[in-house]
Amino acid sequence: MAHFLLSLGRVIKFSFQDVLRNIWLSLITIMILILTLSSVNLLLAVRAISGAAIGTVKEKVDINLYLRTTAEHDKIMALKAQISSLSDVKEVRYVSQDEALSVFRQEHVNDPQIIEALKELDKNPLTPSLVIKPKNSDNFNDLINELNKLESPIIESRNFEDHRLMLSKINAITKRVSDTGFVVSLVFMSITLLVIYNTVRVGIYTHRNEIAIMRLVGASNRFIKGPFLVSGVIYSLISMLVVIFGFFLFLNLLQPYLETFFTGYNFNIISYFTTNFWPIFGLEFLAASVVNMLASLVAASKYSHV
Amino acid sequence: MIKLKNVSKFYDPNVVAIDDISFHIKPGEFVSLVGQSGTGKTTLVKLLIGEERISRGEIFVGGWNITKIGQSDIPYLRRQIGVIFQDFKLLPKKTLLENVEFALQVCGKPMAKIKKIAPQVIKIVGLENKMHRYPHEVSGGEKQRTAIARSLVYQPKILLADEPTGNLDSINAKEIIDLLLKINSFGTTVVLVTHNRDIVNKLRRRVLTLHEGRLVSDQAVGKYII
Ligand SMILES: Nc1ncnc2c1ncn2[C@@H]1O[C@H](COP(=O)(O)OP(=O)(O)O)[C@@H](O)[C@H]1O
Ligand SMILES: [Mg+2]
Repeated sequence: MAHFLLSLGRVIKFSFQDVLRNIWLSLITIMILILTLSSVNLLLAVRAISGAAIGTVKEKVDINLYLRTTAEHDKIMALKAQISSLSDVKEVRYVSQDEALSVFRQEHVNDPQIIEALKELDKNPLTPSLVIKPKNSDNFNDLINELNKLESPIIESRNFEDHRLMLSKINAITKRVSDTGFVVSLVFMSITLLVIYNTVRVGIYTHRNEIAIMRLVGASNRFIKGPFLVSGVIYSLISMLVVIFGFFLFLNLLQPYLETFFTGYNFNIISYFTTNFWPIFGLEFLAASVVNMLASLVAASKYSHV
Repeated sequence: MIKLKNVSKFYDPNVVAIDDISFHIKPGEFVSLVGQSGTGKTTLVKLLIGEERISRGEIFVGGWNITKIGQSDIPYLRRQIGVIFQDFKLLPKKTLLENVEFALQVCGKPMAKIKKIAPQVIKIVGLENKMHRYPHEVSGGEKQRTAIARSLVYQPKILLADEPTGNLDSINAKEIIDLLLKINSFGTTVVLVTHNRDIVNKLRRRVLTLHEGRLVSDQAVGKYII
């Protein structure tokens, strides 16, 4: 055990020397790692934000079924009961013609033109409606299909396409951004692999005398290859720290904008990343280290036989 | 100590570097291996330290059959056989002492042991006054003595010296040979590869002569014959 720690300490020391001796190459390696990790984190942020956005939109969505002004009260109640019994429906509320008007007035209280226009009309221009809250916004499409199947003479109009459009738009944007982010991350990851591989190769080349002498005097493999593996971890650690710092700075700038977008909803991108700090950044560090070590190992095995 | 049985080495089917060589070197011997350039002397050294694979035959080092030695065993073989070369193979950015210490560090020796052994071997080769100098600040002979010191850190039973005086003038060369003799007198088996006629003739020790990959003579008190 003591022997192992001694070796490890010496290997770490050697690898720090390697990192410093090829400082430019090390900086390039760290740069590309930073780009990769940033793109992965941006991808995560986009997913978190769009997930929250979809959630809020679905939350806001009520489905309005507009009824004829001539509809009789008991027929409306019967329809209400029928809709309430649908499995995807959470709640149905009846909004009478008068109630609709007062809500409308309330909403346009600061708009004197509209209020004037209303006064000119001698009749209430609004229709009564049933406001339907879906039970689970994921089954939104099923519910709309069911509502479309309803046959009743008192239904004046059903226009659900707006909601459907909005949701599918958000979904499409999210998907496109995620896909792009995913491809960009993959590209960066492949570049990282190549860069690390090359860094180790150059590292071995600059140390070829040293490695030859190490072999000659009977150095064990862990002293010959170990430093390159540890360098991989050092690169990952430095990049991860830079990325965490920069990313939280970015999130702090982003949060005010999100707050205006998500008014009334409790969504904070910063706390999303702080509560998931270890699963996100710990895993990224682990993944980056493993990828680095694999690339280093392949390069070291291939080139260190001098 | 070193035993070769019908050993051959082909770099490829057309390049026969060693051709069916057998000999036996006993513990404590001082043997010169001579022959013209390109006759396979360095190849033989490389076979002994496991740097090249043996094509045919068998080699034993201290009773250990290294014919099919695995990659992971080579470090252990190297610690039992000290090797020095014509070009010293020192690290230019380390002092003489650090060069010696390096050999111990990369094998995982504890610091306390390194600090004890390195100055000891430096003293054996007579460099205690110059051990803090860098290789470019000392003579060729002193560089070679540093390489010898480094090869001694594991107290090897065998020391292989491949043309150790090739880059040295005759005075420095003589000092190196005297040092090898001194190490041999402590009990280490020494194999000296050289094509320096004067050195071989003055040594009056066993001489193995190679010619075109074959062992053409083995004399107990040899002369340089080719
Ligand atoms: N790595 C190699 N690949 C192919 N041929 C080699 C290699 N090393 C040596 N040789 C050939 O093997 C022969 C013996 O070389 P070497 O052992 O270096 O001779 P010496 O040390 O006696 O001068 C030479 O013909 C040389 O060209
Ligand atoms: Mg040679």
